[in-house]
Amino acid sequence: MNQFFQQLVNGLSIGSIYALMAVGYSLVYSIMNFSNFAHGSVIMLGAYFGFFCLSLLGLPFALAFFVAACGTALVAVILERLAYKPLRDRNAPFLYFIITAMGASIFIDNGVIATIGPTPKTFPQQLLPDFLKSGTIQLGSLNIGKVDVAMFVVAAVCLAALVLFIDFTKMGKAIQATAYNMKASALMGINTSFVIILVFAIGGALAGVAGVLYGMKYQVFPQMSGITMKSFIAAVFGGLGSLPGALLGSLLLALIETFVSGYLSTQFRDLFSFGILIAMLVIRPSGIMGKSAEDKA
Amino acid sequence: MSAILELKGLTKCFGGLTAVGNVSFQVKEGGISGLIGPNGAGKTTIFNLITGVYKVTSGDILFQGRSISGREPYQIADAGITRTFQNIRLFKNLSAFDNVLTACHTSAKYSILESVCRLPRYWREEKALREKATSLLEIMGLSDRADVVSSNLPYGLQRRLEITRALALDPKLLLLDEPAAGMNPDETKDLMRLIGEVRDRFNLSVLVIEHHMDLIMGVCEHIHVLNFGQSLADGTPEEVSNDPKVVEAYLGGEGKKSC
Amino acid sequence: MEYIAGIAILIGINLIAVLGLSILTGFTGLFSFGHAGFMAIGAYIAAIFTARLHLPFVLAIAAGAAAAGFISWLLGLITLNLKGDYFCIATMGFGEAVRVILNNIPYVGGARGWESLPKLTNAWWVIGLDIVCVIVTWNLINSRHGRNLVAVREEELAAQMSGINVFRQKMIALVISAVFAGIAGALMANYMQYIRPTMFNMVKSTDLTIMVIFGGLGSISGSILGTAILVSLPEVFRNFAQWRLVIYGLAVIVIMVSRPQGLVGGMELTPSGIRKVMSARKAKAALAAETKALEKRGEI
Repeated sequence: MNQFFQQLVNGLSIGSIYALMAVGYSLVYSIMNFSNFAHGSVIMLGAYFGFFCLSLLGLPFALAFFVAACGTALVAVILERLAYKPLRDRNAPFLYFIITAMGASIFIDNGVIATIGPTPKTFPQQLLPDFLKSGTIQLGSLNIGKVDVAMFVVAAVCLAALVLFIDFTKMGKAIQATAYNMKASALMGINTSFVIILVFAIGGALAGVAGVLYGMKYQVFPQMSGITMKSFIAAVFGGLGSLPGALLGSLLLALIETFVSGYLSTQFRDLFSFGILIAMLVIRPSGIMGKSAEDKA
Repeated sequence: MSAILELKGLTKCFGGLTAVGNVSFQVKEGGISGLIGPNGAGKTTIFNLITGVYKVTSGDILFQGRSISGREPYQIADAGITRTFQNIRLFKNLSAFDNVLTACHTSAKYSILESVCRLPRYWREEKALREKATSLLEIMGLSDRADVVSSNLPYGLQRRLEITRALALDPKLLLLDEPAAGMNPDETKDLMRLIGEVRDRFNLSVLVIEHHMDLIMGVCEHIHVLNFGQSLADGTPEEVSNDPKVVEAYLGGEGKKSC
Repeated sequence: MEYIAGIAILIGINLIAVLGLSILTGFTGLFSFGHAGFMAIGAYIAAIFTARLHLPFVLAIAAGAAAAGFISWLLGLITLNLKGDYFCIATMGFGEAVRVILNNIPYVGGARGWESLPKLTNAWWVIGLDIVCVIVTWNLINSRHGRNLVAVREEELAAQMSGINVFRQKMIALVISAVFAGIAGALMANYMQYIRPTMFNMVKSTDLTIMVIFGGLGSISGSILGTAILVSLPEVFRNFAQWRLVIYGLAVIVIMVSRPQGLVGGMELTPSGIRKVMSARKAKAALAAETKALEKRGEI
C-alpha cells in the first residue's frame, strides 16, 4: 500500500512537470496548428537559466525562477519571429515547420553542448530555500518528498494563473478567439500578431518553469530536450489544442509511466508511452478531450 | 430511357444537422440534369454522397440499377461516375497534360513490376495512355496549353481542364459542381455549348450543380430543386420556373440571376 | 584516398534510404520521422544473418529488406488512414519505439550496441545496389503508378475521384521506402561493423528527411545531389566537431526559411527534365503574351 501511494505521489509530481510542458505546447498548437518540436530545447534552456541564476548570479530563489521563465519566454518569441514567422507568411506546409523546429532544437542543444559542455549539473542544495531542500514530509505513514510537493504546488499555481488569465482577461479572450479562428479574429480587430507572440511567450515561460523544476528534481543536462516527446504524447493523449486535455493527459501519462516503471520495469516505461501515443492516434486521434473534424469537398 | 442514376430517400446527417433529408430523383441516361438550390441547400453534399466521400445516413443511391452507397470513392470513379469540384482541385504543380495523363491510368493495366522492369506491356500501354491524353486535350481545345503548369492557366481553362480530367476515366455520368462559377456571360455560353458537346461526343449523362440560371435553363433537360436539404420541386425547366414554391424560395423576386 | 572512398560509400549507403524516403515524401507527400527505425530493422536483421547465422551477405540484405518491408506494412495498416500530421507523429513514435525495443534486447547487444560485425560491404555492393535502386525509383516514378503517387500528394481528394485507391498507393510508397531503408541499414551494419540503437534515433530520421528536402521534393536527381552534399559536408567540418551540429541546425533553419524548394525544386537534372521545365516556361510565356494581347484589344 505504501508503495502504491509512493508511486502515486511520484506520478503526480512528474505529471505536474509534464503538465506545465504539455499545456505550453498545446497552447501554441491551438493557435498555430503546429507542433513546436523545439519546445524541449526551450525547457532545457529554462533549467540552465535557473541553474545559472542560482549558482552564478546568486539570485534569491524566487527571482531566479522568474528570470528563468522570462528568459525562456524571450527565447521562444525569438524562435517564433526568426524561424516560424517566415514560414507562416509563406503558407508553408505544416511539415516544414516540424523540420525547422527540429533544426532549431539541434542548434540549441548542440549550442549548449559546445559552449557550456555536456556534463550534467546539479542544482546546488545550499542555494535552495528550506522548503525545497531534499527531505521528506511525514504524512501519516507516508514519506513525501518536499521537492515533489513543491513541484506540484508551483505547477498548480502557474496553471491556475493561466486559466484565470485566459478565461477572465481581455487578452485571454483574444487568445481563445484566435485559437478558434485566426482570420475572423483578425477581422474583428484583434491583433493576431501580438496574440501569437503572447502565446509563444506564455508557452516559453511555462517551459522555463518546467525546466527549472525538472532540473531541481533530477539534473540539468543538454539531452533534457528529449523530454519534448513526453509532453507531446501527453498533449496528444489529452487532445491536441485542448488545455484541460493537456493537463489531464499529462497526469494520466505520468501516472501510467510511474506505475509501469514501478510495478513492471523501467525498460517498458518508454515503450508504454509510445504505445499510448500510437493507440491514441489510431483509436481516437482527437485525444480524450479533443474534437474531430471532417474534410469538406 | 432508363435512369442512369437514382437517389432514393437519400439522407445525410452530421450529428444533429440534417444536411440532406429524404431526397429522391433520377438522372435519365444520356440526359443533362440540373441540381439547384440556395447556398447550403445540400447540393455539394449530395455530390459527396454519390461519389462516396460522405457515408450515407439512410436511403440509397443506384447507379445503372446497382447500389453504390457504401463503396469507396475510387471504386465509384472506376464504376463510371466522375466529378469536378466547386473550388477547382487540379493537380496544381502538374502540367495540363500530366493532369489528364494521370487520370488515364485506369486505361492501363501494367503492374508495378512490369513498369519497374520496363517490360513490353509497359511500353505498349504507356504509349496508348499518352495518345489518349493528347487526343482528349485536343478534343477539349487545350492542346496548345498542354505544357502549362495547371495553376498558371486562366480560370476558365482550369475549369475546362478539370472536366477533361474527369473525362479521362471514360465515365458514364459526369458530375459538375458549379462549373460556371466566376465566369462571365461569354465564358458561360462557351461552357453551355461544351457541356452539350461533351454529352453527345462521349455518350454520357451529366448532372450539374449551378447558380447561373442561364446555364441551368439553357442546358438542362430536367431540374431538381433543393432547399434546406429537402426536395422542393422536380421537372423540366419550364415546370420548375413556374412552380410557385420554387419561385418563392429561390427564383422569386430576384428574377434572373446574373453574375 | 581511402578517406574519400569511405565517404563515397557512406553517400552510397545513405542514398538508398534517401531514394526510398523520396518516394514516400517527395513524390507521395507523406512525411516520416521514423525511417531510421526501418534502417535499424534492416541493420539488425542483417547483422543476425551475417554475424550469428553466418549466411551469405545477399541473404542478409534480402532478409533485412523484407523484415523492414513487412513491419512497415503492419505500421501502414494502423497509421495510413490518419491525416498527414498524425501519420507523421505516428512514424515518430514508431522510430523511437524501435530504438527503445532494441535497447532492451541483449541478444543483439542492447543499448551498448553490437560490435565486430563482419565487413562485407564494399564499393561493388554499394554501387551495384545504388544503380538498381535509382533505376527502380526512376521506372516507378515514370509510370502510371508513380503518377498516381504524385496525384495523392497534389490533391488527395481529386486523386480518389480519379479512381486512385489512395490508401493502397500510400501503402505501396511506404513499403517500398521501408525496403530501401532496410537495404541501407543492412549495408551500413556490415560496413561500420558495429551498430547501436542510438545510431537510428530521431536525429537520423530527420537527417534523411532533410536530405530529401534539401535536394528538392519530387526530384530523384535532387535526392542524389542532396545526399552527396549533406553526407560529405559534416566530414569537411570534422575538425570543428562540437560546432558541426550547431552549424547543421542553423543551416536547416536557414534552408527552410529561405529556399524550401531545395536545390533543384521539383525538376530533374536530366535532358528530358530540363526540356520539360523549358517547355512549361515557354507555354506560360505564350499564354501571358496572348492574354496581354487580348487585354490590349479590349476583349478581356
